[in-house]
Amino acid sequence: MSAGDSPQQGAGSPAALSVRGLRKAFGSKVAVGGIDLDIPHGCFFGLVGPNGAGKTTTLGMVTGLLRPDAGLVLVDGVEVWRDPVAAKRRIGVLPEDLRLFDRLTGAELLTYNGLLRAMAPDVVEARAGELLDVLGLADAAGTLVVDYSHGMRKKIALAAALLHAPRVLFLDEPFEAIDPVSARTIRGLLERYTAGGATVVFSSHVMELVERLCDRVGIMHLGRLIAEGPTDQVRAGRSLEDAFVDLVGASHAGAEELGWLGTWSA
Amino acid sequence: MAGHLVGLRLALLRNGLRRSSWPQQVGLALGALAGLPLAFGGFLLLALVPRAEPRAGLLLVEAVFLLLFCGWGLFPLLSFAGDASLDPSRLALLPLAPRELVAGLSLAACIGVAPLCTLVALGGAVVGFGALGPGLVLVVAAVLVQFALCIVGSRALLTALSRQLRSRRARDLVIVLVSVTALGFNLALQVGARLAERLERSDLEALRPVARVLGWLPPGLAARALVDAGAGRLLDATAELAGAALAVVALGWWWWRSLERVLTTAEPAARSRARQPAGLVPGPLRRLLPADQRGAVAAKELRYLARHPRLRVAWVISCLLGLALVVFVGISDGLRHPWMVLASLGMAFLAAQNSLNQYGFDGAAYWTQVVAGADPRGDLVGRNLASMVTGILTTAVLAVALAAVTGGWLYVPVALCLGAGVLALSLGVADVVSVRFAYPLPDDATNLWAVQGTGQGCLVGVVQMVAFAAQGVLVLPLVAVVVAGLVAWTPALVLVCPLAIAYGVFLWRVGLGLGASWLTGHQPELLAALSPRRPA
Repeated sequence: MSAGDSPQQGAGSPAALSVRGLRKAFGSKVAVGGIDLDIPHGCFFGLVGPNGAGKTTTLGMVTGLLRPDAGLVLVDGVEVWRDPVAAKRRIGVLPEDLRLFDRLTGAELLTYNGLLRAMAPDVVEARAGELLDVLGLADAAGTLVVDYSHGMRKKIALAAALLHAPRVLFLDEPFEAIDPVSARTIRGLLERYTAGGATVVFSSHVMELVERLCDRVGIMHLGRLIAEGPTDQVRAGRSLEDAFVDLVGASHAGAEELGWLGTWSA
Repeated sequence: MAGHLVGLRLALLRNGLRRSSWPQQVGLALGALAGLPLAFGGFLLLALVPRAEPRAGLLLVEAVFLLLFCGWGLFPLLSFAGDASLDPSRLALLPLAPRELVAGLSLAACIGVAPLCTLVALGGAVVGFGALGPGLVLVVAAVLVQFALCIVGSRALLTALSRQLRSRRARDLVIVLVSVTALGFNLALQVGARLAERLERSDLEALRPVARVLGWLPPGLAARALVDAGAGRLLDATAELAGAALAVVALGWWWWRSLERVLTTAEPAARSRARQPAGLVPGPLRRLLPADQRGAVAAKELRYLARHPRLRVAWVISCLLGLALVVFVGISDGLRHPWMVLASLGMAFLAAQNSLNQYGFDGAAYWTQVVAGADPRGDLVGRNLASMVTGILTTAVLAVALAAVTGGWLYVPVALCLGAGVLALSLGVADVVSVRFAYPLPDDATNLWAVQGTGQGCLVGVVQMVAFAAQGVLVLPLVAVVVAGLVAWTPALVLVCPLAIAYGVFLWRVGLGLGASWLTGHQPELLAALSPRRPA
């Protein structure tokens, strides 16, 4: 990895996230083909794109989970791949596939995460209790995570990501397969969190949500960031979904092939 | 309809074979090989014994029929989670009436290795009891009714319990039961063989009342019908056969009703018992484990040991092995020396073998450690601590048990110190191996023998063998010193204690250092090795 240019480094308040020339290929398939991105502090950033656009790969590289082939990632001015421990103190992550230590109870999982991050046991206990309350998991605190529903798993993983009060929060599909009530809880929590100056970067398929929540959006397609900026600027007067479809280009096939779909069987 | 379900069953069998890796195919072949002797053994037993020992005939047939019936009831319960064709709720969305389903599923249930083996074994009864004449028809009918009892009874029980069997708790329990049954079956066979040798003719007479009771159970009725038909008592045989057939109908009705319930009523939401939130670190260990990352990792490992079925199985099996050792020493006079207490070291060595893939159970959940920026050294120390606690505990229990049998109480402290040394040095090797050659263990707890990352199967085997050999070589100096002490002057063994601990801890620190320093720069690589492969 080259040092690259890092305009924010050394400035008074570096960007929450700076990415330069980020690349990753799996064999001959290029998953992410060179991304440059700056996200200011206190921003609610939405990363959208069709399946296979490279969103999860990008988030993996940015959070230190997946080693990039090339490029530079700075979180709050700290190079993620040069000083991972310092960078990881600043970030919280909710990954997409939600593989958790699910033979622990919800409360145990939070304690475990806190102690891994070298937090004081009493602080961990107090914060874990509050998070469980706010996320409506207090009754399930003593239940094994393996017996949680999908929505509950998302919420406990979010609690684990928030426990150490990170400055930047990365969420991969946080609202996927979540019931409306839980979604509202999570949304409220995240809005409060960014209002306090923290930054949230999340990927999603739900355009209305991204449009409503995010002050900035990035649209990924085939491993590249094809549009990025303040939400209104990217929308340019259309709905975000229209803008997205225009930029990505949807296929219109299928209308005549499935003509039988309107004929009912007995 | 029935044809489709039979086809589905065949396709599942075929694809199961095609999709499984070679170790699983070998396992299936071994299963078939184990089934064949059972089938032909049953055949010979039923075909030859009644002619040689006519008085034992009825009791034997009753026992075999009852065993078959119970076996058919039990084994599908154990393989439920792994066999898609056993779960009726998978068909709930298809527009099928229970009557069609019962017919189709009955036929489908007759296909497979187990039904074939059962039929072969039952065929022996036709040879053993059938005589030319009208009795032969009844003999064949009795065998078929017994077969139907097995099939219908098994499916009825399975369908009635299918909802409970799908719960996580039941699946966890089944995994443990399967492994313990497999071990216990072996043990029971040995004991049974011993008992059979001692069995006298007078004992057979004593068993007659038992036979009379068994004779009224449905498989017993079928057995009596078989024997009576063979002896030419056709009227009795017909009545008994009708009774057994009635039982088949009753079981079929139960199956039908259960199917209706499973297919038409919604499944209640899974309810699991909430534990009292008690903190991550188990109570008794709170003083022992440090209140930091190392303690957290150790506590998590111990919690997993108690809660994950695969780990529970490994634990139960080592306990059974230890128990077998104690029993063995207890019953053989030649082995009852005080110094046999030192054999508990074997347990320490075995316990460390479970640590060769310390990250395997984390699997893709290892991202938690990576994203937390967890210190790799503390992480490894935590895992080693947990292995140390359990390893020392098992060794201590075994040493005390052996001391109770042999009276070698003085050897217990020596065994403990040596055990700690052996564990420590084995963990040193394990720390290097488990970061450099990690592989994910299947997340799915349903199949105990499932192996993930099959391409690595061979490499994994070789690496583990080399690691095992390395641990063995490193233990040799300790063994040499102990043997020398035993031969020369036994009290000198006291001097071995500090030596063993120092030697073990030194090698542990070397291994730990090597493992931790590699892991420090390679956590994402370890995570990749532990994550199931997926297309980018």
